[in-house]
Amino acid sequence: MKRGTLNLGLTLIGIVVVLAAVGLVWTPFDPTKITGSPLQPPGWPHVLGTDGLGADVLSRLMSGAKICLLVGIVSVAGAAVVGVPIGIFSGMTRGWISDLPARLSDILYGFPALLLAILLAAAVGGSTWTAMIAISVATIPAFVRLARAATYQVMSHGYIEAARVSGIPKVAIAVRHVLPNIAPVLGVQASVSFGIAILAEAGLSYLGLGSGPEAPTWGRMLREAQDYLFNAPILALWPGLAIAVATMGFNLLGDGLRDLFDPRLREMS
Amino acid sequence: MRRSRSFLGMLLAVALTVALGACTRPETDEPRGRELNIGAATEPAGLDMITTTGAGTPFVLLYNVYETLVKLDNEGNIRPLLASEWSQTPDRLSYTFSLDPAAKFASGAPVDADAVVKSFERARGETAAESIRLKWAPVDTIEAVDQRTVRLNLSRPSNGLLYDLTGPTGSISDPTATADLNTTPAGSGPYKFVTWEQGSRVELEANAGYWGTPARFSPVNFRYFADPNAMNTAMLSGQLDMISNLTVPQSIGQFSDAEKYTIHEGTTDGEVVLGFNHANEALSDVRVRQAISHAIDRQALVDSVWGGKGMLIGSMVPPTDPWFEDLSGVYPYDPDKARELLAEAGYASGLTLRLRVPNLPYGPTSGRFIAAQLKDVGITAEVEELEWARWLDQVYGQHDYDMTVVAHVEPRDLGAFAAEGNYWGYRNDAFNTLLTEADTGTEADQTEKLKEAARMLTDDAAAVWLFLLPSITIATPAIAGVQDNQISLSFDLTTLAARS
Amino acid sequence: MTVLRRVGIRLAWFIGSLALASFLIFLITNKLPGNIAQVILGTNASPGEAAALEERLGLTKPFFTRYLDWMAGVLRFDFGVSYYSGEAINPLIASRFEVSAWLVGLGMLLAVVIAIPVGSYAAMRRRHADGVAVSALSQIGLAIPAFWAGIWLVIVFAVNLGWLPAGGYVSWWESPGEWLLHLILPVTSLALVQSSVLSRYVRSAVIDVSHEDYFRTARAVGWSRIGALWRHGMRNIAISLLTVIGLQLATLLVGAILIEQVFALPGLGSALLMAVSRRDLGIVQAIVLLLVWAVLLINFLVDVTYQLVDPRLRRRGELQ
Repeated sequence: MKRGTLNLGLTLIGIVVVLAAVGLVWTPFDPTKITGSPLQPPGWPHVLGTDGLGADVLSRLMSGAKICLLVGIVSVAGAAVVGVPIGIFSGMTRGWISDLPARLSDILYGFPALLLAILLAAAVGGSTWTAMIAISVATIPAFVRLARAATYQVMSHGYIEAARVSGIPKVAIAVRHVLPNIAPVLGVQASVSFGIAILAEAGLSYLGLGSGPEAPTWGRMLREAQDYLFNAPILALWPGLAIAVATMGFNLLGDGLRDLFDPRLREMS
Repeated sequence: MRRSRSFLGMLLAVALTVALGACTRPETDEPRGRELNIGAATEPAGLDMITTTGAGTPFVLLYNVYETLVKLDNEGNIRPLLASEWSQTPDRLSYTFSLDPAAKFASGAPVDADAVVKSFERARGETAAESIRLKWAPVDTIEAVDQRTVRLNLSRPSNGLLYDLTGPTGSISDPTATADLNTTPAGSGPYKFVTWEQGSRVELEANAGYWGTPARFSPVNFRYFADPNAMNTAMLSGQLDMISNLTVPQSIGQFSDAEKYTIHEGTTDGEVVLGFNHANEALSDVRVRQAISHAIDRQALVDSVWGGKGMLIGSMVPPTDPWFEDLSGVYPYDPDKARELLAEAGYASGLTLRLRVPNLPYGPTSGRFIAAQLKDVGITAEVEELEWARWLDQVYGQHDYDMTVVAHVEPRDLGAFAAEGNYWGYRNDAFNTLLTEADTGTEADQTEKLKEAARMLTDDAAAVWLFLLPSITIATPAIAGVQDNQISLSFDLTTLAARS
Repeated sequence: MTVLRRVGIRLAWFIGSLALASFLIFLITNKLPGNIAQVILGTNASPGEAAALEERLGLTKPFFTRYLDWMAGVLRFDFGVSYYSGEAINPLIASRFEVSAWLVGLGMLLAVVIAIPVGSYAAMRRRHADGVAVSALSQIGLAIPAFWAGIWLVIVFAVNLGWLPAGGYVSWWESPGEWLLHLILPVTSLALVQSSVLSRYVRSAVIDVSHEDYFRTARAVGWSRIGALWRHGMRNIAISLLTVIGLQLATLLVGAILIEQVFALPGLGSALLMAVSRRDLGIVQAIVLLLVWAVLLINFLVDVTYQLVDPRLRRRGELQ
């Protein structure tokens, strides 16, 4: 049962990864070119049909899978790289200096990803990078809070106390003892954040704040499908499904991991 | 009044409503005619047509709330409105207008020569927008000859002036009005302004004391939609009586049921221009510009980007102007020819250009289309979508672009290519001379010279004129008198009537 | 450290973060490229004209002077007037807030009404196929973009069946019946996703409760499972749920922007998007400030509540 969730999650992610990997080297047609008459229904040679301009939908979907994964990886990794050290530092120290990062990240928490993206897109223009940065920054507080709370937990263990007394530098303790212990919680968070990032990118692109016409992301494809909702509603189906599959994959992976590490996580939450 | 309700008061009111669970509709004692709801895309940027520019303001107010001495009809002819007749001296240096004696403002004050002079002086004064003020440049003095007669004395003959007087430039406002015209318009039209809920709607109501044919609808709501698809669904679900202009023509099939909708197709003044930055080294070469003109299949572009609804033009003149000439065949779609021209110009091995488009309905899709076609002839176009304010700042203001796509919707805007510091960086003295000669010469001269000027732009491939925006108005069959063309700045309500 | 002292420190941090947030907002919005003068004048303007208009709107004053002017207004709860229309900002935001508040409020309410039974059912039947199926359903709800669900709701119920309006908003004051009809689809699409989020919290809260001794005792003395849950577990579940709702409310006020866009609702989010696109900075600042302050306030309240109720619970709040 526990494994079931994990495996299903991995399968769904696998589908997206394969789609993206194949898309890197081969797509049925050039996704940026007009290769058929507009709005063809699914068939041959355009397996999923063509869009409003006559570009191949499957090729664009494959090309979009690549960007979807890129957005997820960059924004989650970025948030973790910034957030986790701050969280660990804050969890290992005491006094006002310990509170400072947490308080600052609370302020950041006040700016939801969408708000940040709206302002950022106005400042530097909407693009895939804008979306990634906004999502990443908005995800930082989650990692800070989690890493801090988990570090507190770990710090109460006897062996850390022993290490501290024996004069091992703080950084070494953080890397050798704290990080490995809190890694499972962070892994779960990363997986969940990945799903959120994919949804957020779709929303931003739909509003025209994310990827531009140069990048066929799934959110962008949904936005373009809007104009043909009545002639060809199926165009809105494919990218929506792809988003749902990818998001569900990462959510299930997160749940699966949580179940796997259950005893340790139960204790903390 | 909603407007004066304070924020906390509002919260309290909401809380109270929830607590009491009931609230009745506020009573109004005015007789209400047939309500009309019109879906529109461009919201006003202020309500004073003299100080604000932009298409949203006259769209609602011109001919409906404010009137002019003369008006532009659906075919592009100039007709009497507040002036029942007018004459010009043979030397073309003076216009005399006789005001209709019945004309009066919504406040009851008469539209007399004094009101006209005051309005005109304001329109060419300090506070007026520059684009309005410039239109008054040929006028020397404005005088009230008697209570019903106004004379304009010109310093040089001008063919454009009478036409300009049909627009915001010539709008007549009530001199007895005390409130700020930017929030409370005061005119003599068949409708009165009621309210503007920013981002949502402008409401007009019938002017009960109108001096001409009374308004047939009341209230009239212009409802604004940021998303054209949301406007379509509002029409489909019966919340709108009209869509003033369908900006996603590929969705026109939704309104094919003739029992429920009538479709009116015509032309506008909106030329969709693929603009070149002439300061770019490659694009300063006429061969490269011509190559790009040959590389784009404009009919295919209209078919896939604009549902096949736009007309191909080929220069900066819409077919409703007297000097229109069909130049759409000058650069036929010919990728081989394009490659040849590029090779001649020294770009056989390829060329990379930035194509920065605004996030307007036609922008991103035509950007994608153009990039796909230019790829075939060896030009890499990096498409970038810019938010409108950014586009205005970076492309229009700072000229930071190589190519862009934008619709120029102002009427008779051939002169944009002659303007000092125009964003294309286009400069052609012969062209400028033609325009000046056209304005000061006889009417026949004007047509001749402007034809020549338009052709000059085309031969020079100053830009690529992709297509002319169509006017597509959707209405329920209950609305009669819908105009096909949209060539004045006004959405003229006076031609509309309810079919019973 | 006494509890009072701890709360005092929290309060100081809270006020400091309000001030810092306000400064950040003003800084960011004022650094946006492009300006309102250009937007107002459009493709008709000369550079000189844009500069003159900027001067007239007071945009050429020094940065700090403008910040202090603005803050002085904010503290008197006066956000000034829109550069674009000259309209006062307070009533504009109030009318936009009304729409968003109804959308988010009713959406949350519906989500809770769905989530409590669904989540409890999924928890109690978690070892059976039907319970797993319910959990799986909530997984699907979590993965679907709410605006995408909204688009399909419009196609089916507004366009094909014609039962409900596709978009727009009618104020309660104008017609309560129309008001309700216009809100059904947007509230439903918001609630679909939110109920999935909440039902997962309910599920784990119920599972927690069912492991507690008092629950087992109640069961042992003959309470039915639902009875025991209702009698003993609801308080715990309610606390956990309220925390989540509180934290999500302010985020949702702006997050609902996608739904507002699909249904053409004149709410806060679409007002923000519109104001940004016009560079009507007064409105942008007002909306962003209110939203950010709201999130900070809710955070602060949750924090203080935990401090007062049980310091040990704090960690728990952070983990969530």
